[in-house]
Parts: sequence; structure tokens; C-alpha cells
Amino acid sequence: MSNETRLQVGDRLPDLARTIELPDMVAYAGATWDWHRLHYDPAYLASKGIPTPVIDGQVFGALLVEQLQDSLGPRAFVRRLEFRFKNLVFAGETVSCVSTVTEMHESDDTVVLSFDCEVVVVGDNARVAVGPASAVVVLPR
Amino acid sequence: MSDNVLLTDALASRIGETASYTAPEPIGRASIRYFALAVGDRNPVYTDDHAARAAGLEGVVAPPTLITETNQYMTGPRDADGFLGHSWHLDVPNSRLVRGGNTYEFTQYARPDDVITAHWSIVDMTERRTSKGVPMLVVTSRAVYTNQRDQIICTNTETLVYTSLAPTPAAASEGPA
Repeated sequence: MSNETRLQVGDRLPDLARTIELPDMVAYAGATWDWHRLHYDPAYLASKGIPTPVIDGQVFGALLVEQLQDSLGPRAFVRRLEFRFKNLVFAGETVSCVSTVTEMHESDDTVVLSFDCEVVVVGDNARVAVGPASAVVVLPR
Repeated sequence: MSDNVLLTDALASRIGETASYTAPEPIGRASIRYFALAVGDRNPVYTDDHAARAAGLEGVVAPPTLITETNQYMTGPRDADGFLGHSWHLDVPNSRLVRGGNTYEFTQYARPDDVITAHWSIVDMTERRTSKGVPMLVVTSRAVYTNQRDQIICTNTETLVYTSLAPTPAAASEGPA
């Protein structure tokens, strides 16, 4: 009945795209109690030779979780999430989460799905923000 | 081992070091809603008890990665860079620090009334070379997050990478402490 049972190895989840602007970064900094100047302070950034505030990389982990859960439903539990940071992402850029099913194991009471994931920056300066990345999600049957 | 430029004996002696931080209060529903709002995650299991129960949960839960941000367990003050969270304050001269990545293993959701403790340890330090031959120090730390019942909610393995800024590997080799 549920969407997840229709997934097969090789299927790609709907991409999750998000434009992250300075107010979103300030909100995330507040929500995580992380007031590091790297994420908002122009004078500090200039002293480091960085042109634009840097998005906190941990937000990409939160976005991958969001993508997996939105695609698989509220009963989905993300059991494992692994990612490596590849490139910095700057205020105002748009990222897209891309996740593809690599394995699927069914038992009597659960379906365990594995994913290859990536977070890419889209637009003029397209590049990989986070990758390689992977996730394991457990779904009750 | 004598080829190590960044990994001094003083640094290596810190492998195994631990640090623990316990939140001064429960996570709270407002913190959960704020995080979900800031991320833009509209999953109702974070904000609506009815939706959470319909999903088989006891009530609203915290987004999984929320508890891995250590700043929330600190009482201040922030440092000059504005940072409040956990740091090992490793002294790696003439290097640039970047975050390598994280591996999160979640065992259960955190709930609004959970009081979280983060148990950090330095698991390993390894010196390697970049593809261009530049020395880099890879520091692997682990944080285990538990609730007030000592149940593990998440294990976070994190890598920090210190890359040498010295013009040549040899030039960076000034006497270790």
C-alpha cells in the first residue's frame, strides 16, 4: 500500500532543492546555538578572504533526512547517515539533494533501504557540496 | 613516523581524551519547532502530537540531527569567533582546518523531555598526504549522545582535517614541543 514498497533498487527519490539565504542561515545558527561569525559577519569574512557567508554544512545532513522522510513517509526512521564535505556553499546558493536506492532488504516486519546520496550546488557555479554520502532507512511493514 | 610533519608526539598523546557535556534542561518543544522551521522541514512529527502518534510515535520527536549540535549543551561564554560548542583546541601550527564529514548512527528519536549528554572522545589521529603531497592531519572524534536514562540516541563519528600551509613539507617541520 505504502509508497516505499514500490521502490526498487536503482530508483531515485524526488530531489529536494532549497535556496539558502542569509536569513535562513541566521535562523539555523540560532536554532543550533551556533553563532560562529563564518556564517554571517562580513568584516570577519573579509579578514579571512572569504567573499560571502558560508552555510553551516550540518544543514545538509538535516536536508538529506528531510528528503528521505518526505519520500518514505512519517514511519521511516533514518538509522544511518554518512557524508563527506566536498565544497563550501555560500549564502544565496541553491542546493539539491539527490538520493538513489542501492539496496533493499525485506524481513517480516521491516524493509531496510540503503541509499547513495549527494548534495549538489545548482546554478552558475555547479559543484558537489556533500559527497560521497549514504543513508540507511528502516520502514516498518 | 619520523616523517610526520603535523602529528607531533604532544598531539598524538591526546588520542583517547574525553569530554562530556550535559544539557542544562530538556530539549523542549520550542527548540524542536525552531530547528524544523529553520531547516524548512515541515514534517508534522516534529510539531504535531496527533501526526506523531499516527506515525506510531508517542508524541512529537526531535529531527535526528538536532541533538548532534553540541552548542546547545553549553552555558557559554562564546569565543572571539562567536563559537560556543565543543572543541578539542588542538594546536596544529601553520595549518588550515576543514571539516571532513560525519557518520551518524541513530538508534531512536530524542523526545522533548529528554535531557541529552554528549560524550566526546578522540578516537584517532593520522597523518596523510593530499594528492599534491601536502601533509594533512586527520582527527577522528566520536560523540555518543544519551538521554537521562542512559539510552543511546545517536553516535556521531566526525573527522576534522588540518592541512599544512607550509610551502614545502620539509619547511613545516619545526621542532615539536
